[in-house]
Parts: sequence; structure tokens; C-alpha cells
Amino acid sequence: MTVSTQTVSTIQFPYKRTLGPVMGRFFSELTARRIVGIRSGERVIVPPMEYDPETGNELAHDFVEVGPAGTVRSWTWVAEPIESHPLDRPFAFVLVRLDGADTDLVHVLDAGSEDAVHTGMRVAPRWRDEPVGRIDDIVCFVPGEHADSPEGEPGEAQDVTTMEYFSKITYTDVLSPTLVRYANNLRAGRLTGQRCPQCNRVFLGRGYCSVDAILLGPELDEVLPDRGVVSNYTIITPTPYPGQKETEPFARASVVLEGDEMVIAQQQILDIPVSEIRVGMRVRAEWMPDAERDAAEITSKGWGTVAGFIKGWRHTGEPDEPAEQYMNRVF
Amino acid sequence: MTARQNAGETRETAVRQDSDIAIVATAQLPAVRRQELTETEMLLMVVDEALDKVGLKRSDIGFSCQGSCDYISGGTFSFVPNLDAMGAWPPIHESHVEMDGAWAMYEAWVRLKHGDIDIAVAMGSGKSSTGDPAAMYPLELDPYYLAPLGLDPVSLAALQARQLIESGKTTERELAEIAARSRRDAAGNPNQQVRGAEQDVDKLLAEGYLRNPLRKSDLPPISDGACAVVLVRGPRAAELTERPAWITGLDHRSEVHNPALRDLTDSASTRIAGQRAGGVAGVEVAELMAPFTAQEVILRQSLGLAEDVVINPSGGALTGNPLMATGLVRIAAAADQILINGRSRTLGHATSGPALQQNLVCVLEGDTGAEGDPAAKGDNR
Repeated sequence: MTVSTQTVSTIQFPYKRTLGPVMGRFFSELTARRIVGIRSGERVIVPPMEYDPETGNELAHDFVEVGPAGTVRSWTWVAEPIESHPLDRPFAFVLVRLDGADTDLVHVLDAGSEDAVHTGMRVAPRWRDEPVGRIDDIVCFVPGEHADSPEGEPGEAQDVTTMEYFSKITYTDVLSPTLVRYANNLRAGRLTGQRCPQCNRVFLGRGYCSVDAILLGPELDEVLPDRGVVSNYTIITPTPYPGQKETEPFARASVVLEGDEMVIAQQQILDIPVSEIRVGMRVRAEWMPDAERDAAEITSKGWGTVAGFIKGWRHTGEPDEPAEQYMNRVF
Repeated sequence: MTARQNAGETRETAVRQDSDIAIVATAQLPAVRRQELTETEMLLMVVDEALDKVGLKRSDIGFSCQGSCDYISGGTFSFVPNLDAMGAWPPIHESHVEMDGAWAMYEAWVRLKHGDIDIAVAMGSGKSSTGDPAAMYPLELDPYYLAPLGLDPVSLAALQARQLIESGKTTERELAEIAARSRRDAAGNPNQQVRGAEQDVDKLLAEGYLRNPLRKSDLPPISDGACAVVLVRGPRAAELTERPAWITGLDHRSEVHNPALRDLTDSASTRIAGQRAGGVAGVEVAELMAPFTAQEVILRQSLGLAEDVVINPSGGALTGNPLMATGLVRIAAAADQILINGRSRTLGHATSGPALQQNLVCVLEGDTGAEGDPAAKGDNR
């Protein structure tokens, strides 16, 4: 059985950003269905900036209400929206020059069909039912002079000081030939690397010598011992953040493979209290059961990992190596 | 008036100073849709190739700088393993920019200006194949006003192209002609990804819009790739190669980050960078980083390039777009016009940020040899 040569991963990041006095004012006004720009010399800049885009000078907080209607200055048609687009049906991205503004606002236009869109057409906002102080409180623009508003009068402007934004990117990582071989060997319970013909050091999971910058091909593959010595460790007291699963202090150790200089970092030491972990301790790999071995953590970034194949390392019971021998190994 | 007349028919070679800096070698991997090698492996290969061309070893290098992007690679600090392309021991002097390799070259050039080292290497690498550019690129935009709208790069380029067309500065036909010319040139360049695609202007114009007014031929491919250039200071450059590509001007300028606040039909930053880099008089070949056809028109007009300047004989970003290397590839191609093709004065350009926000211009010159005009030795490309 061979491993998949692709790993798919999704990185998600919940941002919460402070807005400051200028953008904060713009987003606060949106909650009352008003659009404001900022005066910069003779011009009114929409959306407002904290500084003059020409000179970089800070602008006085001289806000001017604009729109809500405006004129399309450029457009393009999106026939097949993707997940990150604000509308799930065909729409136009537009540059809108709001009445009273001297710059354009980027937004989207819900016009039904491409034929209905042209430069110079008049458009007005469609307001969100319950505004939160984001650019998409304007759900989109619609053709015509009049804003499309929910029933009733808008409330007082809320004081909007922060904005939440959830970013999400999915990556499909295709493993290099070196990493495919590496992962297949791990699945078979073998730790492999290549020995550099120049410095005689062995390197795991990368296909080159990190010291001499030489590509190392499959002819240099060798099986490495799954035993080693703890060369360094740290005890981490977990603080809660998205994705953190640990609740109690835990250790991460560096293990130098026996007879070589290759260090595998960020390893778990199994079955002993973190307070008993020490530099010089001899350990042996605890492999995952065959059925649980998984190459999802092997990616083309980094220096090779054993995650998904080696659960952790267990003290062999043998006497420690002298700790001084390992003091200069950070990783 | 032609470019050569502009420069004066009897342009004299400037006397090279110890402080002058030249590109002496370049290397790139072919741009491909999906490269299975890691970024580090790609960089190892291009650094090996560039150094081999001039007989240098890594131990000769005084400074190196890399350009790459963690957002594209998909991991924090993913640029750190890339350093292994230069070797880690004994300790090296290096830097990294989260920008196209052209800006890595700018930093290497500034570092050489200090005068205490003679040789530097600049690199750019990227694998766009791992993610979806349409979903990823909104994250480089203004996070308050633009990112929540998911404004993808092709839609933004289309908004820019429409304004250029409706202002009378270009036509859809001219854009199709740029696409056709780029594809013809790419057919002869094995480093380009889009080779053998349709080259007939009328047939291109008959294709439907992908994002009105842009067709597929107006867009770059999604590419993986890497590039490296070797920079050498002073007389050492002429010892290493017959005809160094001297950097006579290098400048970069940036504009406001929100593209809607700019005149999208002009590129003030390109114009200023071009002037500060010594101007375009006498430039025979310009390699412009224009991933969208309309952007080539804007760059050409902003720089004031004469009609007879050869644009993007490499095939350009339209036929190979390994992000984070594309700009350095343009400069490498402009340098190769001097190093290999015997041109006298060429220009390389790189851009960064949405809709030509930031622009870098590099003007390169070759020495005129004793046998007369070395440009005569070059081919017509």
C-alpha cells in the first residue's frame, strides 16, 4: 500500500481588527444607512482614508455624507461566483462614483444579467436588514436612483470600533518524489534519509543537504535507526487559542537519532511525567499501528516530519548519555 | 524617431567604476502548471545553474536574498527551509523579502553598494498551484473595504482594462494582438508555460469573455517556478563573464493601496521609477511584468517606450507567471539580452500589489566591445 501523494489542508484565521477613528466612523455610519467620505483638499475621498493618498499627510476628520446613489465608472461580469464572492448568483463587480464623491468605491452590482450593465448607469445601495458595521452592510448595489432599504427607519448609528473577518484558504500540496519515498517508507515502519557525500551527515525527509546545499538523490537512501537521545526539550503551559487541544503542561523534545546528527524536533516523550524528561535520555520510537498511519502531515514545506507515523518516544531504560554531549544542539 | 536615434547613434560606453554592479548570470526553471519539486529543491537547482555559468561556488557569495510568499506556500515561516538552497554552515549572510524576487534583487543591489562584498545572489520562488489564486488574492487587499468583497485578481484586472478601453487608450483588438504576440514569442522559449496556444487575433477576439472585457487570452496562466540572478560588483564582473549586464539604474515606487483611489489607466509609480532608473532613451528591449494584456499598454505608455522597442520577447508574464519569481524572470530576461544576445540597453520591470500598485524598473547596459556594435551579433528578438 502506498501513501497519497497529495495532502489537502485548510488554514483558517479569525481576525478581529480595530478600525480607528476614520474607518470606524465610516462603518458606524453604515449602521444608520449613511455613507460618508472624508475631505482631502478640494476632493471628497470615499471610502475615507486616514491620510491623503497623494501626499501621505494626515487628514482632518472632516466627514461628508455622499450618495447613496452613484454612477458606474467600470464593471465586469462574474458569471460563476465562487465561495469568497459576496453574492451566490451572477453579478458585476463595479467601480461606483457616489454622488458628491471624487473617488470610486469598489462594490458589487446585482443587475440580473450582463446586458443590463453599462458604464454610466445609475445605481443605489441595497441595505442589509440588520447592519453590523461592515462594507457588506451594503449587500450590493442595484440599478436605479433609490436605495433598496428594509422596512422602517434606520436606528441611531452604532459605535463600531472593530471588524471581524474570517479568512480561509485551502491548499493542495503535491509531494515531491523524495517525500513520496520518505512517506512510503514511514508507512512500512522505516525511518529513511540520505547521507551527504560531502559532510557525511544524514538528512531526513527533504532530499538535500542543509549544510552543503547539495541535492541528495534516491541512490543515497538509507534506513535510519528509530532510536535516539533527547538533546533538548521544553515544557509548555498551554494558553487557550483556536486549535489548541492541550490543557495541561506538556513537553516537546528534540531527538538525535542514534549514531548520527539528524535531529527530529517537536517530539512527544511518552509515559513519564514532564518533570522527568532530561537531556541525554535514551529513547525508542513508538510507531502508530499500521491502520492509523497517515501521511497528512507530510508536506513539501519544512524539513520532514514523523507526525502521523511515530506517536512519540519512550525511555529505553538504558543509562543516559552524558548531557554535555548534546548541549550545543538547539534543534 | 527610433530608440537608437533617441540615444544618439554613437552612444559611448560609460566608464565602469569599482562601485558599478552587474548581473553576470541568470537561471530559471521552466514555468509549469504544477511543479512536484519543493521550493527549496527548485531554488537549489537555479542557484546551482546560475553559479555554474560563471564558475562560482556558494562560498564565494557575500550575501543572498530570497523573495517568496508564505500565503502562496501555505505555511508560516515556509520561507525558512528555502534558505537551505544556500547552505547553512559556515553561517551565511542572507535576507528574505515577502515580495517578488525582483525586490530581493533590489536588496542585494543595495547590499553590494555598501562596498565590502563583491558577489550576491537574488532569488524568487513560488508555487501557485497549491492554492486557488481567486480565493487567496483578496487577502492581500485592503482588509476593511476590499477583502470582504472577495475582489479576485481577474475581476480587478477587468475593471482596469475596461477603463483603459473606454478612455480610448487601447482597444480589445490591441489586447488580442498583445496576447497573440506573447504566445508567438513563447513558442520559441522553453521556459514559458503557454506554448502552442491560439495566435490568430481574429480567432482570439471571437472567443467569449471570461471577465468582460477580458478573455482567457488576456490572462496569465497559474504557474510554479523559480529564478536566480548573480550580481557582481566592480571589475570582478568583467572577469567572470565576457559581457556583463551593468545595472545603470534601479528604482521602485509605490502608490496608494486601494486601487479605486488611483487612476487605473496610468501608472505614476512606473513612470517615476523609470525616470529615476535613468529613463528609457536607447532601450532596445523591455521585459515588462504585465500579467494582464491591458497592463502592458499602461506600462508602455507610462514609461514612454518608443514604437520600435521590442516588448517581452521572452513571451512575458502572459505565458508564464510563477508568482514571486515572475518579476525577477523579467529582469533576468532583460539581462540575458545583454549577456547572450549582445544588446546594448535593456529594461526589466516588476510589479507587486493589486492593479500595478508598486513598480520596479531596472535599466541594464552592456559594454561596447572593440569590434564595434555588439548588438549586431544579436538576433532580432
